[in-house]
Amino acid sequence: MAMTELTRILPCGVRLEDLLLQVADAAPPADEAHQATCPYCQTALRRLRRDWADVTELANQPVSVPRGLTQQIMAHVRSLAAQASDYILLGHPQGESRISHIVIGRVAQRLVSTVPGIVFASVRAEPHTPPQADRVALSIQLVVRFGPALHPLAESVRHRVQRQTPRLTGARIERIDITINDMAV
Amino acid sequence: MTGQLDDEILVRAAQEGDLDAFEELVRRHQVPVYRVALRMLGVRADAQDAAQETFVRAWRSLPRFRGGSSMSTWLYRIVTRRCLDKLAKRRPTEALDEIEVEDDLDPAQAAEHRERLRAVTHAIATLPPEQRAALVLREFEGLSYQEVAEVLGTSLAAVKGRIHRARLTIIQETSSWQ
Repeated sequence: MAMTELTRILPCGVRLEDLLLQVADAAPPADEAHQATCPYCQTALRRLRRDWADVTELANQPVSVPRGLTQQIMAHVRSLAAQASDYILLGHPQGESRISHIVIGRVAQRLVSTVPGIVFASVRAEPHTPPQADRVALSIQLVVRFGPALHPLAESVRHRVQRQTPRLTGARIERIDITINDMAV
Repeated sequence: MTGQLDDEILVRAAQEGDLDAFEELVRRHQVPVYRVALRMLGVRADAQDAAQETFVRAWRSLPRFRGGSSMSTWLYRIVTRRCLDKLAKRRPTEALDEIEVEDDLDPAQAAEHRERLRAVTHAIATLPPEQRAALVLREFEGLSYQEVAEVLGTSLAAVKGRIHRARLTIIQETSSWQ
């Protein structure tokens, strides 16, 4: 680095770059007693603080995320997820309907979320084993509110999903595994 | 409903393929990710691309995320790498966007204020990319030296050296010390 005024040593022997470190990191002075009375240090510190304030101010400026960034990101992610997803096949004499496991999971997730006592639900639809065109297994992860008894709560969830998901999606639910991961108190 | 949950719960759900959980993670972390990209790249369109690429990369890598570091540290790592890649490919003549400044000053003061902050932005843009990354993480994101070292995958001593050199350059470029 070229020798500049900043890398110089003040007449009192203190390096300017050490004072910059003190200003930028809000660090204590190496020699407080000296600095309190030294005019060279005090003048240099005043100048450094004034200059560094612009950096601090830029850092404090709020940054707005571009409108639609979340949607843009999620459109890309959803398309990737859809490419990797399995489907159920619902036969019909005039063609077949395919419904993504992602959609089945989201439908079930919304059903679970309406059960009293559920704070957060995540549902994953997986192919039934052995594979059958219209059957899935569901894995449900829950965060629950403190209060309701857990086993009956899990049964309420299972009951609602078992009854409503086939009606809304056409999928036949072969198995529902429920994990309660956490409790919000 | 998801606003009160830990990232850990959402990460676990997203790893199971829950897109709503991932969307909540995007909403939580997109501001710092975009801010790092904007301060490193200086161009809003490039920062937007970098932020999008960061989260798409995060989605793809999510099955391998073991939670050894926090979600925010992991995302800082990804966005910093994306920005360093973009800077390596960038032509040196590329113009920076004008900085947006929120203030309630009169027009003359506001112009002077904007000019000072623009000088800082331009000084940051003159820094070597590795110094720029370290400085942005430290001064703009408030990370400790150790956290910056973790994000950049380098030693504490190297990070301190980079930040120190970056600060010297900025002060020299923007102030009366020239």
